[in-house]
Amino acid sequence: MKRPLRSALSWAVLSPLILTTLLPFAVMISTALKPHEEVLAYPPTWFPRRIAWENFAEMWTSVGFGQAAYNSVLIAVASTLLALLIAVPAAYAMSRLDMRGKAAYRQFLLITQMLSPILLVLGLFRMAASIPFADGTLADTRTGVIIVYATYHLAFAIWMLASYFTTIPGELEEAAWIDGATRAQAVTRVFLPLALPAIAVTGIVTFVASWNEFTVALTLLRDPSRLTLPLKVVNLVAGRYSVEWNQVMAATLLATLPVAIVFTLLQRYLVTGLTLGAVK
Amino acid sequence: MSPAGNHRWAALPWLLIAPSLIMAIGVIGYPFYEIIRLAVSDVSRFGQIRGFNGWDNFARVASDPIFVDALVRTLVWTITVVGGTILLSIPVALVLREDFWGRGLARTIIMLPWSIALSMAAIVWLWAFNADYGMINATLRQWGILAAPLQWMARPETAFPVEVGIGIIVSIPFTVTILLGGLSSIPGDLYEAARIDGARPWQSFLYMTLPMLGPFLNIAIVLNIIHVFNSFSIIWVMTQGGPDNRTHILVTYLYELSFYLGRPGPAAVVSLVVLAIVFSATAAYMWLRERDA
Repeated sequence: MKRPLRSALSWAVLSPLILTTLLPFAVMISTALKPHEEVLAYPPTWFPRRIAWENFAEMWTSVGFGQAAYNSVLIAVASTLLALLIAVPAAYAMSRLDMRGKAAYRQFLLITQMLSPILLVLGLFRMAASIPFADGTLADTRTGVIIVYATYHLAFAIWMLASYFTTIPGELEEAAWIDGATRAQAVTRVFLPLALPAIAVTGIVTFVASWNEFTVALTLLRDPSRLTLPLKVVNLVAGRYSVEWNQVMAATLLATLPVAIVFTLLQRYLVTGLTLGAVK
Repeated sequence: MSPAGNHRWAALPWLLIAPSLIMAIGVIGYPFYEIIRLAVSDVSRFGQIRGFNGWDNFARVASDPIFVDALVRTLVWTITVVGGTILLSIPVALVLREDFWGRGLARTIIMLPWSIALSMAAIVWLWAFNADYGMINATLRQWGILAAPLQWMARPETAFPVEVGIGIIVSIPFTVTILLGGLSSIPGDLYEAARIDGARPWQSFLYMTLPMLGPFLNIAIVLNIIHVFNSFSIIWVMTQGGPDNRTHILVTYLYELSFYLGRPGPAAVVSLVVLAIVFSATAAYMWLRERDA
């Protein structure tokens, strides 16, 4: 088949899915830029007559976007760092060291994935509420959410990192040992610099997962000043009679765009990592 | 081969994995223990355990019509979402493997839903399906398909299929990624050889592509089943299991039991039921894989 024909055919086959995928983005952008009176006009149009930048300013104060974004960033960064701090040594052991019970450990990681947060919400809430922290308990604290997120990221992070680590030739470290380096020196000077890209990709994936998480945050967080972005946006809609849809869409757009861009740029690396992990 | 100095550290690997073990046992294992304890206890609506009551909660859940309904709907939800995802992802992955103009762009667009929080995607779709001002009704009426606005999310007969459709769209990126990985492991000269031997395209698909894609399809199916079974955000944000409890799946019902209806004991039982189903589905898959290997 000639390339122009093949291209036309490929796009034709993909077009229903592509249009459906793009629809929510079009709706989001179109409504986020509409002035209030146009949102509730019939029939609705795709293009606003006037671009209503004020939606973003109004949404910023009505949502408390700044505080929510701070909470989201804090929770996502801290849970990612904590997960990496624990996952990198474990993945190193999995990919480099002889140990008995490696298969059992692998099984254990898989089982932790099946005990998904939604199944344990009651248990997680009761546990957090029973652990004293600051002047209350771990329930309704960002620290509690950080710890739960980090734990749930572990299996994925260890799996992903270990499959990358096995692709780094062990001979490089062995060469360092011959030159008199200890294991610790070989790890920090030879292994870690080579592993850095893999650690970065894994970190970004766990960051995005934390950034987008809903169930655990919904369960553990109550105080409006501690809510993350997804909770704030959902609260603008859930159980309300009048919803300011242009502000809701402005908030959704602002919360989604940065992450969507980063994710799109990194997609290629993600594909490699996932498939490496899949066939192992 | 071992480095200078510390050869005698047989405990090293265990030291390295110990933090992850401790954390998983503490944060996943302990709540799991709590769930089991709640399931066999008489629990007040404020979570006070008043004593052991054996299978009482189980019996109460089994005779709860909303639970039975949600159980059936969970199976329908899982089968339709996973089935739809796989059926759509295979052709999409096959097309994306071809070399055509704008392939990078097509791939980026199809992967987009992956980067959005499910809760936020659900909000945007909720607005798109809004009866009075949503773009879907407006477009359908403009095209003459609908005469009057349809109250999509106010009726379970339309709300649930909409949620299934969204479930499929957000599951496609991950599935296509796995399948593309599988397709790239099939050497291209194999197709060349088949063509020279006179195989038609559908023959090479049926006898080469599908069998070699097998393990990847398996992984995609199992991971999707685990994920879709536990998928909470879409339904919770769009309909909260309503109207009239008729879009509940087990996980949304268990959340409602836990935090809205104040029935922690039965909620814990529902958790265990979901877990048992997910475990047996995964075990069955493992067994199938062992047998085929």
